[in-house]
Amino acid sequence: MNRVFGLVGALALALLPVLSAQPATCGEIKIGLMCPLTGKWASEGQDMKNIVSLLVDETNAKGGINGDTVRLVVEDDAGDPRTASLAAQKLASAGVAAVIGTYGSAVTEATQNIVDEAGLVQIGTGSTSVRLTEKGLERFFRTSPRDDAQGKSAAAAIEKGGYKAVALLHDNSSYAKGLAEESRAALEKAGVKVIFFDALTPGERDYTAILTKLKAANPDLVFFTGYYPETGMLLRQKKEMSWHVPMMGGDAANHQDLVKIAGPEAAAGYFFISPPLPQDMDTKEARDFLAAYEAKYDSVPVSVWAVLAGDAYKAIEAALAAGKADPEAMAAWLKDLKDLPGLSGSLGFDAKGDRVGEFYRTYVVNNEGAFELQPR
Amino acid sequence: MEQFFQQLLNGLAVGGIYALVALGYTMVYGVLKLINFAHGDLFTIGAYLGLTLLASWNLAGVLPPAVAVLAVFVMVGLLVALIGVLLERAAYRPLRGANRLSAVVSALGASIFFENAIMLIYGARVYVYPDFLRPDFTVDLFGVSVPGVRLLILGASVALMLALSAFIQRTRMGAAIRATAIDPGAARLMGINVDRVIALVFLIGPGLGGMAGLMVGIYYGQIDFTMGWSYGLKAFTAAILGGIGNIPGAMLGGLLLGVTEALAAGYVAMAWKDAVAFLVLILILIIRPTGILGERTADKL
Repeated sequence: MNRVFGLVGALALALLPVLSAQPATCGEIKIGLMCPLTGKWASEGQDMKNIVSLLVDETNAKGGINGDTVRLVVEDDAGDPRTASLAAQKLASAGVAAVIGTYGSAVTEATQNIVDEAGLVQIGTGSTSVRLTEKGLERFFRTSPRDDAQGKSAAAAIEKGGYKAVALLHDNSSYAKGLAEESRAALEKAGVKVIFFDALTPGERDYTAILTKLKAANPDLVFFTGYYPETGMLLRQKKEMSWHVPMMGGDAANHQDLVKIAGPEAAAGYFFISPPLPQDMDTKEARDFLAAYEAKYDSVPVSVWAVLAGDAYKAIEAALAAGKADPEAMAAWLKDLKDLPGLSGSLGFDAKGDRVGEFYRTYVVNNEGAFELQPR
Repeated sequence: MEQFFQQLLNGLAVGGIYALVALGYTMVYGVLKLINFAHGDLFTIGAYLGLTLLASWNLAGVLPPAVAVLAVFVMVGLLVALIGVLLERAAYRPLRGANRLSAVVSALGASIFFENAIMLIYGARVYVYPDFLRPDFTVDLFGVSVPGVRLLILGASVALMLALSAFIQRTRMGAAIRATAIDPGAARLMGINVDRVIALVFLIGPGLGGMAGLMVGIYYGQIDFTMGWSYGLKAFTAAILGGIGNIPGAMLGGLLLGVTEALAAGYVAMAWKDAVAFLVLILILIIRPTGILGERTADKL
């Protein structure tokens, strides 16, 4: 590792005079994007690149930002912390005005200090781990929600549904367990009783023993915080036992295969909270963006995290349009930002750099097995 | 009490499938003293082949569902049995004379090969069986309403196990298998074709495992290429619990493991279900090192 960093450092030093010798680029602003174009998250990363490129083209078609054209510099981080740190170095030395990215909290974390030392603003996209904004980095922001925000939103949805005795179930993954714990804390604060809290083993087929035990506890809502394959099995076997208690989930349930596994009949009425996709949103920004995206790429974005990269660009664009090209000024401006219309709803940041505002929405599976976004 | 019966039935249905898969481990071990680690993947192959036969050939559209399911059971059993024999020829027979550890490594390699082959052929996404194949009725038993399909699975597992027991105990081929298990050298001297007996064992074990895979597919609906791992591990445990190499032991071990898991989930803690089940396994092995029904001195791996 040290040798790699040493090499990169040496290269960066060698490049420095070359870069600083260049005249200040006149009439062009560079914006950096880090995303996983290869590796296991390649489909998300390619969506990110597509979305941000589309928005950059739109900006330039309108005459750029204050007359300067925008040039997007894309670096592949391969969804891997080591590759990501190299990508961050490259962007920092390419002279970008700000850095967007990236997907995966651990990957983003590997780049935070590099971008910070380069003195640039960074806006994370798919990085939900709480600690990223708890380090006191002055110029780090994110357009994705934090893990604990989902727990609060889940608790709010449960309260709104009028449920009084909730059974919480997770699968021992750090994500699902964290969500279950955050939800329990928020529910207890709101005065909703959590009468059951336990974990199942993911990857199994038979959850009837667990459902039998849950049924005996007699909750009026079952909240399973894990992923869609287990959720599908639970719904299916719950129906088979003729137990009609409502069930809900978190954003890991947001996958169409859920209905395939459970069967539309067993899935009907199941609800989950998740950030909304543009195709489910009713705002003008989302509609316009979706039309342009479909016209250019002949498909719809499948990952909400990719849409958040578009929102990161929107925030940077707005800051530059306000004349805040200096990173310190840009960071200060972003911390005061409120209600900027974005692709995933209104955009704004708090003093830590976290996104503010109610972001999670409720989806309900209808009788045909389709996910329906609920009005707020 | 009602909950206890419910959990007991839950456990028996799961245990029936463990037992069917465990038979494959125990038969191969009894004859070859080899743990066939690829057995769990043969189970997965059964689940995938069943889906292919049902979906691509549209059998369920041509025949009435019950007949289609029976036909697919027979076809999957035969196909997976064939794969089992090929596996023995390719991966185990060339190592027959070699160190036993070489055969174990070969078995692990075969397991990795099968798992990745399934992933490359079918893809990594979850597949789902058509829903209408599943018999949809409930039976009242001891005041507990039980989905009929669970009873069918338990019944089918027990029927297959009894048929196998009868075959081993009552027929000449069965006697040849028992003789080979006790002493392959002496069996050969008595005029038994040991290679054919081993091939037969690799027909029966994988055939039953493949059918268990199909049952899991039809009942639980969801199949993926890694499912053989967890079922294989549990079934292997069941085989040891009952006394590896012993056929009634595998059945007993499977049912016992399923029931222990269900009761542990119901009365201790769900997250500790596997820990409790394995604790029971360890306790039984401390008291009876050869397993519940294992009679001969153990020479395990």
